[in-house]
Amino acid sequence: MSRNHHSISFLRKPEKAAYFFLSPAAIILAVFVFIPLGAAVIISFQNLTIYLDPAHFVGLKNYLNILVDPRFWNALRNTLLFLVLEMPLHVILGLVVAVALSQTNLFTKFMRSVFFLPAVCSLTAISIVWSFLLDPNMGTIPYYFEKLGFPGLQFLHDSHMAMPVVAGITIWKNFGMTMIIFIGGLQSIPQSYYEASEIDGANRTDQFFHITVPLLVPTINFCVITNMIGSLQVFDQIYVLTSGGPLFSTETLVMYIYDTGFKSAPYDLSYASAIAVVLFLIIMIITLISNRFFTSRETVDM
Amino acid sequence: MLLLLVIVLYPFVWLILSTFKPESDFAVYPPHFFNTSFTIDAYVKVWSNLPLLMFLKNTIIFSGSVMVLSLLVDSMAGYAFARIHFKGKNIMFTLVLVTMMIPFQILMIPLYLLLYRMNILNTFAGLILPRVADAFGIFLMRSAFVSLPKDLEEAARVDGFNELQIFFRIMFPLCKPAAITLCIMSLMSNWNDLLYPLILTSSTEMRTLSAGLATLVGQRTIEYGPTLASALVSMLPLAILYFFAQRYFIQGIATTGMKS
Repeated sequence: MSRNHHSISFLRKPEKAAYFFLSPAAIILAVFVFIPLGAAVIISFQNLTIYLDPAHFVGLKNYLNILVDPRFWNALRNTLLFLVLEMPLHVILGLVVAVALSQTNLFTKFMRSVFFLPAVCSLTAISIVWSFLLDPNMGTIPYYFEKLGFPGLQFLHDSHMAMPVVAGITIWKNFGMTMIIFIGGLQSIPQSYYEASEIDGANRTDQFFHITVPLLVPTINFCVITNMIGSLQVFDQIYVLTSGGPLFSTETLVMYIYDTGFKSAPYDLSYASAIAVVLFLIIMIITLISNRFFTSRETVDM
Repeated sequence: MLLLLVIVLYPFVWLILSTFKPESDFAVYPPHFFNTSFTIDAYVKVWSNLPLLMFLKNTIIFSGSVMVLSLLVDSMAGYAFARIHFKGKNIMFTLVLVTMMIPFQILMIPLYLLLYRMNILNTFAGLILPRVADAFGIFLMRSAFVSLPKDLEEAARVDGFNELQIFFRIMFPLCKPAAITLCIMSLMSNWNDLLYPLILTSSTEMRTLSAGLATLVGQRTIEYGPTLASALVSMLPLAILYFFAQRYFIQGIATTGMKS
């Protein structure tokens, strides 16, 4: 009798236990994500500064200012330029290297480990190293270019070269991570597909475009979207490498948000929040569009 | 492939050699790759001029606590989502996934104000707490718990285990590989993060390695050798960990793309 009672109370328990298990995460996410998210939207309609004087609602003023702010449009253009320079090359390089190293042996294991190494290192430290290597006066890389017949290249100090160079360093840092994700995806493709296509006379290029790429669409989707979100939020390497210069040529949206809110007077938190809300909307839209593009691909190709 | 190998390794080899260069080696033209002599001056200078040990201690406390706490919090939430039916599960899980799409940049200003009001700005509590629950971690642990055999907890209930015991003694230990992956991902992202600690800390005593280094380099007051030496020192702990636990790093990352 008592044992029976015992088991009934246990049957009732899992649901209660679920709320218990969830509560720490729920509280943390509510306090540190959802409340700040709501607050960001509210602040963006106010005139709040870092000195936290009483703020007033100013309606759409900050958003209207964004529309006519040349520095915002410059930052948006730079952010998109970074995305276009970085993302395609990064994903393609990651995929090609993954295919080249997809067999598992001692050599490929070694290469994978080396290529992944930059991904483990902090972007800050890596950026310091690259800024020294590319320094026009003391860097070895401008010197090598001079020997090859390209003297006087300024790299990060040239407003036309700076962004491509920053994108290149980012690819150098991150392609190994993407490569490993693709190797994981490749290993889930049944070997029999390749064997069957070999019987049909397909060469390696055919196999790459007709088997590997179509079957990797979900993984490519994951890499492209995470990479795109990351690119739109680019900050660390630019903060260290160029601080947004020369002549604002590498100032991205997040650099501009940081500068507006935390670095330059009048520390306009509301205007910075408004730009952040706009950035959030841009990220949402681009993510949804590309996700739709890839999911339609998934069904067509398979 | 070999060219790529050279391009990837070149900065690391140059960095290691350069930390042992005398300061005069940086002032010559043409610049040379190899040292004229070897010296540990740079490391000595770093040691005496930079609060590197403090940065290191802060980084370990910050990323270590986040790793341990988020493993616990994310696993518990992931377990509830994976194995228990309860009211509001779908809505709550959707909300968790939504947080993955919110960029940190939109949260950072209100978060700064919130921590200020809570009086924990520039403290470890302020740095650690917001990172203790993480959508990616919940998602990862949920995938791991979902794939466990169906009647495990029924058998445990018959044996008289309560829900907490089932989680801690049976289910959680079975998800060790996912837990290791989560620990590594969490450690990597928090150890290397820049913007987050840069904004939520203001005094040198609270800076992490990334934030401390970035501000020091931004001031351009220290010499070349010591700057490079401190960059190397900041990367070394994770690089050493990677060297010994490579398998987990690579396996962990390889599976993340497939689960989404």
